[in-house]
Amino acid sequence: MTNSADDREARKKTQPPYLYPAYVSTQKRAPLKPLIPLPENHFSFFGPVFGHDAIRPADADLTRQHAGEPLGERIVVSGKVVDEDGRPVRGALVELWQANAAGRYRHDLDNHAAPLDPNFTGCGRLLTNEQGAYSFVSIKPGAYPWRNHENGWRPAHIHFSLFGAGILSRLVTQMYFPGDPLLPFDPVFNSIPDENARARLVSAFDLKTTKPGYALGYRFDIVLRGTKSTPMESHPR
Amino acid sequence: MKLIPTASQTVGPFFSLGLAPYYQDAEETLASASDAIVLHGAVVDGDRAPIPDCVLEFFAANFFARVATRSDGQYRVAIPPGAPMCEVLVFMRGLLLPALTRVHLGESTAKGDLALAAVPNERIPTLLAHPTNAPNEFEWNIRMQGDDETVFFET
Repeated sequence: MTNSADDREARKKTQPPYLYPAYVSTQKRAPLKPLIPLPENHFSFFGPVFGHDAIRPADADLTRQHAGEPLGERIVVSGKVVDEDGRPVRGALVELWQANAAGRYRHDLDNHAAPLDPNFTGCGRLLTNEQGAYSFVSIKPGAYPWRNHENGWRPAHIHFSLFGAGILSRLVTQMYFPGDPLLPFDPVFNSIPDENARARLVSAFDLKTTKPGYALGYRFDIVLRGTKSTPMESHPR
Repeated sequence: MKLIPTASQTVGPFFSLGLAPYYQDAEETLASASDAIVLHGAVVDGDRAPIPDCVLEFFAANFFARVATRSDGQYRVAIPPGAPMCEVLVFMRGLLLPALTRVHLGESTAKGDLALAAVPNERIPTLLAHPTNAPNEFEWNIRMQGDDETVFFET
């Protein structure tokens, strides 16, 4: 995996920093001492491989995990996971979590005064297919208030966690929705310096994947850091 | 032309909703490998306050484990024998991208490790887990800030 000085400079623009004071929780939690460089090609082993056995089809349909259907606007989110060279990342574990349509998480620590939905947990997982593609059905999450700043609200988002080919390919991110008026005010989203890099976290409405009479389609493609330059390239996968 | 990797965002406070299904069951691991090592410790912030909403991922050759801190900021993970060192990704509310560190089980496993070449000598102890009085048990604390801030690596 390349980790040259140029790559690091590019990442400073397209990835958030650790310390971003407007996101108040970073102030006491961001590492402050200089980060230590690792030797070139340090990461020569592969990440964990997760088997198909533990994943059920219902895990990729968050609207069918209970006796009834959840309230909210049904959506189908799909996209492709590729590495920096555009090669599909196959069999990647994607883990998902989100608030319900009212903006409430099914979590003990979420005390937002919005109703829980007995028919919605907000947790899903799947593996990308041979083309690196994925798709899941859910409901559009609601915005919710948080105490970061005066009258702060998080824009609607779905949390994504992905495992690629190695430790540096590991990605946890959030997918946002197009046209959300809260995006310009959100310090988590705006911690990413580069405007185009921010824009890539906003899914696109997609009529092609919209299921007639059933669910609105959103497209969200993901690029994971690759492994091309490691000496382990020919390692069997 | 290379594509630009998707930007990272924080796991936020409610990650257990999505990440808990793959938490390690330490007791199950210990039951299947009685000589496994138990590693435990605290994760603390710049005020030395315990961090109750942290998830740690341990990577070694042929080994992966994910555990979360409890409400008192303590974690506990079982590491099979033969993994004297793990790379560790630290995720939490307040981290916009994961922090990368590593833990060596005992001082001897750090000697001569090339990955530590750029670490100032006085900071190396932050990467060493220490044996406790219990058999096969080590303690390692993660300090996000402070004079003895844990060493974090460039990613």
